[in-house]
Amino acid sequence: MVKLALSSVGDRERSVTILVRLNSQVPNVIDIFGLTKHYAGNFALKNVDLVVPVGVTGLLGPNGSGKSTFIKAVLGLVKVDTGSGTVLGKPWPRNVKSIRDEIGYLPEDDCYILGLQGIESVQMMARLSGLPTTEALRRAHEVLDFCDVGQERYRNVETYSTGMRQKLKFAQALVHDPKLIILDEPTTGLDPTQREEFLDRIHALAHRFEKSVLLSTHILHDVQQVCEHVIILVRGQIRLVDTLANMQRPSRSGIQVRVVRDAARLAESLRNENLEVACDNDTDLIVQGETSMIAKTVWAASKAQKILVERIDESRNSLEHSFLEIVSEKNHAHS
Amino acid sequence: MPILDLGYRKWAGGRSREWMRWSVVATTGISLVWRGTWLKRFLLFATFPAIVTMFGVGLFEQSTRDENYRAMFNGFLSSRISPIGPRNRMNRSRDRVPIIAPTADIATQRHLAWSHMLLWYFRYPQALWIVIVIGLVAPRLISYDLRSRGYLLYLSRPLSPQGYVFGKSCVLFFLLAMITTFPALAIYAFGLLLSNDSSAFIQTWDIPFRILLATAVLVLPTSAIALAFSSLTQESRFAAFAWFAVWIVGWVTYLVLTGSAMFNEDDALKLQQRWLLISPYHVLGHLQEEIFGLLPENRHQVGPWILCSVVSIAGFGIARSRVARMLRA
Repeated sequence: MVKLALSSVGDRERSVTILVRLNSQVPNVIDIFGLTKHYAGNFALKNVDLVVPVGVTGLLGPNGSGKSTFIKAVLGLVKVDTGSGTVLGKPWPRNVKSIRDEIGYLPEDDCYILGLQGIESVQMMARLSGLPTTEALRRAHEVLDFCDVGQERYRNVETYSTGMRQKLKFAQALVHDPKLIILDEPTTGLDPTQREEFLDRIHALAHRFEKSVLLSTHILHDVQQVCEHVIILVRGQIRLVDTLANMQRPSRSGIQVRVVRDAARLAESLRNENLEVACDNDTDLIVQGETSMIAKTVWAASKAQKILVERIDESRNSLEHSFLEIVSEKNHAHS
Repeated sequence: MPILDLGYRKWAGGRSREWMRWSVVATTGISLVWRGTWLKRFLLFATFPAIVTMFGVGLFEQSTRDENYRAMFNGFLSSRISPIGPRNRMNRSRDRVPIIAPTADIATQRHLAWSHMLLWYFRYPQALWIVIVIGLVAPRLISYDLRSRGYLLYLSRPLSPQGYVFGKSCVLFFLLAMITTFPALAIYAFGLLLSNDSSAFIQTWDIPFRILLATAVLVLPTSAIALAFSSLTQESRFAAFAWFAVWIVGWVTYLVLTGSAMFNEDDALKLQQRWLLISPYHVLGHLQEEIFGLLPENRHQVGPWILCSVVSIAGFGIARSRVARMLRA
């Protein structure tokens, strides 16, 4: 795993993200600088500098923040106004066609070729990536097995349910064994079980097969489950690039305690020990301070008060909280 | 290593060249349209005129060495089903175009006879089949992809919008070649096989090239118009309507505007030349006559050539820009 030391500097006009790799042996999958794209006078992306490291990266942002435009720009599907860099070590946007050969893209839109069976669709995508016809068919069966598509592969794609289409699109994105997989809202329309399976597959691809994944989504739970890095894009500007662990680290250390009941009584007892305690309900409380020291005090207090402790965790920021904070900060700046 | 592993596996192997990826669009398109039962029926029916033409060529070749067949060929020339029948010959005589006459030295007229028969083949039955087959197939080619956003799948791979449009065009090129080029070349080969000496090839060596040029003149503008219509809408029926409307309206308008020629033979040529560009069918017919060397010199015009070129470039350009524009949506 690449370890990253990261800092982020943002101003109102331009977001600049500085990403320092400690392990310079592993190149980034995307290094793009000065990316600007506008549609009819509105900036979809404004002078974006972005480095996406190896691993699974979550691309977050509210609707209309420019996530899909960024992905299409990386793939060369839209012409950018300015910008240059490298994608998978190849000059971008000059070599965008050969870059596409090494990227698997799962579009957000519901897209399919009318009249083709599932297996034929995947085979066609493999052939479009240059695989010979027979090998494309063999490989299509292989990835459809991996994506858990059974005999439905012989049905016409227009008869598929939303979940099946997502699986099919995932198989199409993987069939040519790309180095970078770009997934645009991949879990939309999946039931909870399918979603968990889908995320497991992403995790397996990243950790067992060394694929880099850029996951664009609104579902923060998905990001929390599989991503190592997070990028937040707001109104066409990068607001944050960080590791998930850094994002979830609170500004002050502490622990989260869950008790069976009487959290308020335990909080009062801890305050008497000169600890800073926050208690919102009858079961949860957050105690600020040096983790190793306060844990002992909490145990002692709970024993004295005869309060049963269910669980003690290191205090973490929620991704939702960080995300909303960053997005609302930007909104305030605009207002 | 497990005996059976349904998990993901890496893949490494040679890949085809990027500039050839349009061929996947073409072969996928052909395999999709080939599933249509009606298309197969139409293609089967479209071979019948070739059999009639082959019969004409065969009869001509037999008449060059057999008196009995000569009489039969003369009868064929006068019949209604003949590609070079009485009405055609009368019009050509009026326009001072060389015509086939049942003379004693009929072998010297081989080039003329074969050209006439191939022109008839291209001009009348196959022109109709082309309109029908393109009307059946082309409207769906791009409009279906626009409706189901299938173009995103194609273009997310190393394929440009022009490669995509070219691949789609190749579906039409293939079908039209099956209707026109391959049967016409078969007719030519059949004539060579039946001819009694090797001089037949020397007399007619240019005809295959004329067939290829006539096919190109037919195929390029028609495919361009059809694909442009298909790219302008997500409803293939609108594209089909526009396609047939262009042919029917052009044809009817041309007939109405040149109708007075029925009463005044002297004005006929003048009127036909003036209003020629209105009807796609007559423009293509004019060009084919020129390609097969059966157009009188006083009727040579550059307008139809320019029109065909402009329509071809504009049609493919519209289709390409529509696909590229959809990506930005």
